[in-house]
Amino acid sequence: MAPPMARCPRLPPPNRTRQPGRGGAGPWAPREAAAGSRAARRGRAGERGAGRRSGARRTMATEAAAAPGRARRGAPMYSQKELTSKKRDEFEDILEERRLSSDLRYAMKCYTPVIYKGLSPCKPNAIKSAVLQSEQVQYVIKQLAKEMGESPDIIQEEATEILDEMGHRMQLGAVRFFAFTLSKIFKQLFQRVCVNEEGMQRLQHAIQEHPVVLLPSHRSYVDFLMLSYLLYTYDLALPVIAAGIDFLGMKIVGELLRRAGAFFMRRSFGGNRLYWAVFAEYVKTMLRSGYAPIEFFLEGTRSRTAKTLTPKFGLLSIVMEPFFKREVFDTYLVPISISYERILEESLYAYELLGVPKPKESTSGLLKARRILSDNFGTIHIYVGQPVSLRTLASGRINRCPYNLVPRHLPQKPSEDIQEFVSDVAYKMELLQIENMVLSPWVLVAAVLLQNLPAMEFELLIEKTLWLKGLTQTFGGFIEWPDNLCAKKAVLSGLTLHSNIASLVDGHVVLNDKGMEDGAVGEMVFRHALAVLMCATYRNQLLNVFVRPALVAIALQMAPSFRKEEVYSCFNFLRDVFSDEFIFFPGISLKDFEEGCFLLTKCDAIQTSQQEIYPTDKGSGTVSFLSAMFRPFVEGYQLIFRYLSKEMKEAFTEKQFIPGVRNFVFQLLEKGSTQCYEALSSDMQKNALSALVQLGAVKKKKMPSGFTYNVNQEAVSKILDMFDDSADAIPEHNEFLFPEYEILIEPEEPEFPADSTDDEQGAEDTSKGAKEQEELGAAGTADEAFQSLDEETLEAMAKHETEEEKIFQMFKKQVAAEPEQIIRYCRGGEEGPLWVSGENRPEEKDIPNCVCGAKRIFEFQIMPQLLNHLQVDSLGESIDWGTLVVYTCADSCGGGSEYLEEFIWKQDYSMGCTL
Amino acid sequence: RKTNKSFPVPTTPCTATGWGQRAGKEQELLKWNGWGYNDSKFIFNKKGQAEFTGKRYRLGGMVLPTFKEWIEKTFGASLEHKTTSRASLNVNDVPPSIVNEEFLQDLRATKISYSQDAEDRVFRAHGHCLHEIFVLREGMFKRIPDIVVWPVCHEDVVKIVELACKHNLCIIPFGGGTSVSSALECPEEEKRTIVSLDTSQMNRILWIDEKNLTACVEAGIVGQDLEKQLAESGFCTGHEPDSMEFSSLGGWVATRASGMKKNIYGNIEDLVIHIKMVTPRGIVEKNCQVPRMSTGPDIHHFIMGSEGTLGVVTEVTIKIRPVPEYQKYGSVVFPNFERGVACLREVAKQRCAPASIRLVDNAQFQFGHALKPQVASIFTSFLDGLKKFYITKFKGFDPNILCVATLLFEGDREKVLQHEKQVYDIATKFGGLAAGEDNGQRGYMLTFVIAYLRDLGLDYYVIGESFETSVPWDRVLDLCRNVKERIVRECKEKGVQFAPLSTCRVTQTYDAGACVYFYFAFNYRGISDPIHVYEQIERAAREEILANGGSLSHHHGVGKLRKRWMKESISDVGLGMLRSVKEYVDPNNIFGNKNLL
Repeated sequence: MAPPMARCPRLPPPNRTRQPGRGGAGPWAPREAAAGSRAARRGRAGERGAGRRSGARRTMATEAAAAPGRARRGAPMYSQKELTSKKRDEFEDILEERRLSSDLRYAMKCYTPVIYKGLSPCKPNAIKSAVLQSEQVQYVIKQLAKEMGESPDIIQEEATEILDEMGHRMQLGAVRFFAFTLSKIFKQLFQRVCVNEEGMQRLQHAIQEHPVVLLPSHRSYVDFLMLSYLLYTYDLALPVIAAGIDFLGMKIVGELLRRAGAFFMRRSFGGNRLYWAVFAEYVKTMLRSGYAPIEFFLEGTRSRTAKTLTPKFGLLSIVMEPFFKREVFDTYLVPISISYERILEESLYAYELLGVPKPKESTSGLLKARRILSDNFGTIHIYVGQPVSLRTLASGRINRCPYNLVPRHLPQKPSEDIQEFVSDVAYKMELLQIENMVLSPWVLVAAVLLQNLPAMEFELLIEKTLWLKGLTQTFGGFIEWPDNLCAKKAVLSGLTLHSNIASLVDGHVVLNDKGMEDGAVGEMVFRHALAVLMCATYRNQLLNVFVRPALVAIALQMAPSFRKEEVYSCFNFLRDVFSDEFIFFPGISLKDFEEGCFLLTKCDAIQTSQQEIYPTDKGSGTVSFLSAMFRPFVEGYQLIFRYLSKEMKEAFTEKQFIPGVRNFVFQLLEKGSTQCYEALSSDMQKNALSALVQLGAVKKKKMPSGFTYNVNQEAVSKILDMFDDSADAIPEHNEFLFPEYEILIEPEEPEFPADSTDDEQGAEDTSKGAKEQEELGAAGTADEAFQSLDEETLEAMAKHETEEEKIFQMFKKQVAAEPEQIIRYCRGGEEGPLWVSGENRPEEKDIPNCVCGAKRIFEFQIMPQLLNHLQVDSLGESIDWGTLVVYTCADSCGGGSEYLEEFIWKQDYSMGCTL
Repeated sequence: RKTNKSFPVPTTPCTATGWGQRAGKEQELLKWNGWGYNDSKFIFNKKGQAEFTGKRYRLGGMVLPTFKEWIEKTFGASLEHKTTSRASLNVNDVPPSIVNEEFLQDLRATKISYSQDAEDRVFRAHGHCLHEIFVLREGMFKRIPDIVVWPVCHEDVVKIVELACKHNLCIIPFGGGTSVSSALECPEEEKRTIVSLDTSQMNRILWIDEKNLTACVEAGIVGQDLEKQLAESGFCTGHEPDSMEFSSLGGWVATRASGMKKNIYGNIEDLVIHIKMVTPRGIVEKNCQVPRMSTGPDIHHFIMGSEGTLGVVTEVTIKIRPVPEYQKYGSVVFPNFERGVACLREVAKQRCAPASIRLVDNAQFQFGHALKPQVASIFTSFLDGLKKFYITKFKGFDPNILCVATLLFEGDREKVLQHEKQVYDIATKFGGLAAGEDNGQRGYMLTFVIAYLRDLGLDYYVIGESFETSVPWDRVLDLCRNVKERIVRECKEKGVQFAPLSTCRVTQTYDAGACVYFYFAFNYRGISDPIHVYEQIERAAREEILANGGSLSHHHGVGKLRKRWMKESISDVGLGMLRSVKEYVDPNNIFGNKNLL
């Protein structure tokens, strides 16, 4: 009798002949030598190389293939991560072998990839004509012909053109060319390219079983080159890749990419039905036939911030449709996390975020990019996640009726529950990507460093980095930190690799924002912002791992009490506000909150009782670290919201918004009234805007020219208030609310006999100008002041017998009695204000009459000391004045509650000017 | 037999019998715990070769040399591991018959024969679902009819229904007992006396109207008897469901049956001219026997598919046709299933489908091959080899991918030949290759024999079942592939140790779609609760069918097995419409088999 298991399809595929060029140590070597155990493998982690060559490692093939169905069955779409027990595969360096053997031979190796079991082989051109002839495309062509009164042939022609523009022409020759050149380039650029081989094995099985969609993270152009390279190396079918059409701008390279399997999509084609139909059908045809794995980026574009972008749903819903319509039995979605120790485009990104436009992709640009070939970009980690069965995800979620009652080739708007499902899947996939992103020690360093600018002691940095490593691991972060590597070495090697961002100077680590000393203020702000944003790119890699506990920590500080509901409501608010900034699975706020609390409890930062959550003494460090980590976002959002609520009265477009808010933030930075450099990032600005749209505080309208936005001032203020309520919780770091003071009202010292003072009246009148209550330094007369000058002063005055000096000295003298005074009040006093300088004092004709016709008289003046108190006193960066003198209507006209226009005279220390 | 004693005997739970002449005759010829005739079954003979016993079928008495290997290869089954069914019914296990004495007196007064015998009651307590057969072999039903009655005519039925209303009893009509939808199972929670109303004695052809080509027939007549008796007058109905040897006319009406040759004769709804049904409200029928009428919704359509929930169909006027002059079988080999389906679709499009056209997939083709009897002469064997060589080598067909269509033509000799040519021409366009009459004939013969296979499987830890659906043309391929794949997956997930047999055939063609039939079987060794696992898999397969745009059932009906999907299938309102009919016709739920709704 035949062995019963022999024909069971779940067994590993028949052994494939080894490739001769691989020298017996190829990546699949372990698979064929099915000996040893997983435990043995784990134990031998240290001696990887040796283990690999001995081939004594067990394959996980059987398990891997069986798992997709069984393990996840019935699992909810979102399951709380098992944070510590999470076991991840180990990495192998694929460059290692490339450094040892001939690239040419590698490129020319016998390449016979495993393919989908149901594949009916066909050429790229056959696919194209199948697409053109498909009912789907023909239907749209006929529809359009009818609507536009054109002949279908013309539209068919158009469809052909679209297809030619978009279609790939995968050729083995081009693939080999890439294999060869990429080997050279990658070896030059990167130290190691590490791959989890078990993931590749799982992928191999998945490809044979069902159509596969590869969903890599997108941080760099290298992503898809690398992924194709990887699949070639492992003898897997090369993917067809949805690439942005801008690649076609690169003449030769674009064509080469096309031959290597890229197909191109326009960035936006929402309105073009023909394009949509052709594109969707093209993708679906390739998927249905199992022609090749389809690869695209959920994030839609490269994340300039290294922080996962919120997913785009268009392509995902296209690749899911064949399953919904049951044209395929199942589809595997494979999340792939590609982590770069150093991102190739890091400085480009920073410039771009600051509004220096991105260079259009061009071949010459690429050639220039060759300069970077001499640079070192460290290690790449590629983690191929467990293939996720779409069928399992969908089980019980999809109402089949809509698909059964309409012919399948008719274009159909997805129902709401489908849309929701697609969005859920997209978020799930991104969370899976995030879970397996590899964090290098430098990421930790960057996170610590950013909280300790401008300089941090090296030893302290090491200590804090180590501490953060522990915390990150508690939170489930995937840190690649070689066991035997001491912290100092790890930090140092990070600094070496990223010497363009930070360096070690005199035992301190500082950001490289050269040019800080010279150059204009604006230039300095720009340079610093550049350095901060580049550094932030690395810290950002931690954020999605930290976001849940961190938002709980911030909510703890925001909430008026420690009651759970109140903390949760703050958390919920933050989660909503940051919904575009970080990746949250939709609709499970409470679960996120619980996870955050759980993690904080785990690291002893908080304790929870039935009703309350409160920070522990021990955990205050953690809590404040976490909130500091996310402070740039909290503050940045507030700045942006403030800009929107104050400055944007009318409808605006995103093109107007970005430069506007950038200037706004830039000015604040120049003045030194904020330190939030990250608010300059266009990414944050867009996210903040879209958060407001989602919160309903900004209305987004579709216009023929694009989207316009309308701010609901009140709603934005309300959101700002939510933040402000927490202002006292984080006082010293709040960079756009001025500090609060209590103002005391006192008459001036007795040696200056008081004139008429009317405290109450003053309080009333001035309350309109400033938020604070005013301090009334009762004004003395200039003469009296003069009389009181002592000998010494008189001498000095004699020496500097200028009017100018005299007056300033008098000013000083007068103020010295009460050095902290900020307002001097003396309505209608004949002596008038206390001038700072002799220059630029107003004549009577300079003071215009009130609107009612009455004369304006002096009422009070604001002293420059206020600048000190408000901490806007950095020279050359902040606003400045000598004194501000306010003149009001002598008749006190307009007794009502409305505001009246008054007159203010600004006198500076040297040169005055009027406002 | 105890059933036909001439004198009434005082009622005791197990042995009481009533009046009557020939009640339960059929039952003596049939297996009590399996399909079909007692004398016909698959066995392994002393040489270990498979053999089909009996003389009723063409395969009878033949040795099937490759069959054993096929079973072992397909199911991983071994002849050494055998399960045994109980040899006969253990009367002590059977739930007692609880019948009200007043009712019995009333019943006796009607002179309708009845029985409270355990075997009679158990025989009518089930259909032929796998779980029912499994229970017969290894356990006992929790609830069975308390009494079996054999009315011989319409009036008897009226009396029985009246008595049931009077005594508040539950009636479950029983025809041929071939249900595969748990329709005959007694609801466990039924507290009233359950009367099994066996229509088998109402089996006469009342009249034949040659001018209008109709015949009025009592509903209890079994398919093969009907055809045999009509043939004596030179007619036939042409209605040939696969179960026609045992299923009854009334059963066909009650389940909306479909026959193999529906392309010529139509399905039951096309054949029926008039129905007479006895309900608790009274008798429902039309006032004339016309081909069509516009008098509101057709009341026949309340009756057809009512699955015994409204009343008992007693007499049916059915269309008849002269027996066809000429019959010809045929078969076509296609390089793959896709091409085969495309060909069937084209045939349907051109509306030139022969009496029957079926397309079996590769697994079923292999199965049919395994059932090939030992060839009589070297010559046939040589011919077979030559054919095989031609198809696989010369034409490049892959024996593991190719599939076969079987054809049956009927009518005038000349027209049949013309028709045949037309169909083969179409087939050629789709890469089809004529594969001979013999293959076709064997294909149809296997349809009847295949039902016996399950009993053999059960002896060797293999359980299986068939189920069907209807589906639009454009979804046929996707549905077939997905359902088969789903079965394989579910088996894997449920811990079935050996890959299952999961195969299908397209068995009927229509203008807008097709009927697809699935066979599914697996080796359950190592599984503690095979029936439960089996039911889960079957349910998953049905879910898959529905998700692929297939129907809940093409002709098997809903019964109790598929009730859970009724709402989804016909909408809330639709279900409400059916309920309100039931409420009016049978407010006290006398016909309480709980099917359908």
